[in-house]
Amino acid sequence: MIELNAVTKQYGSFTAVDNISFSVQTGEYFALLGPNGAGKTTIVKMLLDFTQPTSGSLSINSVPSTQAASRTAIGYLAENHHIPPHLSGWQYLQRCAELLNINRSDATDQCRRIVKQIGIEGRENTKTNTYSKGMIQRLGMGAALLGNPKLLLLDEPTAGLDPIGIIEIRQLLESLKNQGMTIFLNSHLLSEVEKICDNAAIIHQGRLLVKDNIAALIKNGDTLEDVFVRLVKG
Amino acid sequence: MPKARSSIITIAKYTLMDQVRQKSFIIMFVMCALFLLLVRNCSQGGFMVNGQTLDNEAVVRVVLKAVFHINAAGTMFLAALFSMRVFKRDRDEGMQSCILSKPITRWQYVAGKILGLWVLSVAFMFILHSIVFIMVSVNLKVVMPEYLIASLLCSFNLLFVVVAVLLFSLLMPDIIAFLCVTGIGIVSFVADGIAAVSRSPMGQAMMQQSDSTSDLSLWKVIYYLWPKLSGIQQAASSMFSREGFQGFLSIYPFINILIYSLILGALLFWRFRHEDII
Repeated sequence: MIELNAVTKQYGSFTAVDNISFSVQTGEYFALLGPNGAGKTTIVKMLLDFTQPTSGSLSINSVPSTQAASRTAIGYLAENHHIPPHLSGWQYLQRCAELLNINRSDATDQCRRIVKQIGIEGRENTKTNTYSKGMIQRLGMGAALLGNPKLLLLDEPTAGLDPIGIIEIRQLLESLKNQGMTIFLNSHLLSEVEKICDNAAIIHQGRLLVKDNIAALIKNGDTLEDVFVRLVKG
Repeated sequence: MPKARSSIITIAKYTLMDQVRQKSFIIMFVMCALFLLLVRNCSQGGFMVNGQTLDNEAVVRVVLKAVFHINAAGTMFLAALFSMRVFKRDRDEGMQSCILSKPITRWQYVAGKILGLWVLSVAFMFILHSIVFIMVSVNLKVVMPEYLIASLLCSFNLLFVVVAVLLFSLLMPDIIAFLCVTGIGIVSFVADGIAAVSRSPMGQAMMQQSDSTSDLSLWKVIYYLWPKLSGIQQAASSMFSREGFQGFLSIYPFINILIYSLILGALLFWRFRHEDII
């Protein structure tokens, strides 16, 4: 589903991503792990064509990420998701549905289902500037689920959330697991990743350190955190 | 292609809605409408000088022309204000990444923004000109549809302003982008004023006395190549005033602004293509 081929991204003399190659299969719950500034968000941005790689290529469903068609059936949740404060949750979802060219009746049905799924029922018609951070993230997640995407790109979906908010997002992700969706999750909350994902890659200073099945990574009674610290600290 | 068109229209619609809901937009619109209502007495006729009645229609045409130019120039100023923070607001409120994470290309996004802002500015100006048109029609019982056509012709200027401000706002701080385009407009009006004076008998006499022909030819080139924002307004207003059509001189400002809009538009699309989305 996702292919990265020798991808490098440089900002001036700083190398944010250094010759990374890996792939993510359809239906996989994949986590990209790394400390702050490791290059995780840059990889997601290159997948969405928000920034171009200095060299190498990326593709989604065999379509180069530079083409808009590669973003068909993709849901994206940004780190610290923002929503225009003057919109209500419902208006935001409707707006996102219209941008996806979903017809009006389908959009209403999907928005109703998503409002229930993300647990903002009863608050969907109030302005989003009255929402908590957790609600904003869940609404962002809801918007990413519009149009029944095949792939979810989630960039630190639990960043800045309290433990309850983190559990809510985790439960939402677990509930999607049975729907055959592929999930690409950027995170440094290792305990959450361990609970949700099947495979993980660890990157540090733009370089890929390891990519494997999580069960294989945490053999010998280690936690993912132990493995992560050992690899990152060298 | 229909999908691309529908994405552009959707983005344009939301751009327009987001602008209209802002308090500053509503306040500016109400202030402009009030200004027009304040000058409504000028269109009632019955002008007398030294006990002699003046030709109502001639006086009203002069007043109409002045109001037309103030409206058109004022809307250009407001269009620059509307446009200067559009990209920044979309970025800050997460709409830019929301839109571009969908199968929507960057050119569709930019085209939607241009279309939304242009339609909004044209509608703003057209409504204000329509208020004047209605006042004159009711008070003087003179219907001048060419006044409204002239208003639509000024939409070329608004396209230029919107495209220029959007491009400049990608290259420099928003307020500087706004000031640059306002500066281009002011220079255009001042240059046309100087050109009008130089064509007057007094101006001609002054030019004959000086020997700076070569310097003047350079200024003439700059004058003709400069965005003819004022020229479009003059050409448009000649439709309802008694100046009449002046052949190529009337058409040239439209060609000039259209070419500028196309060049700046192409630069805007190219620049935004290489912009990192935050």
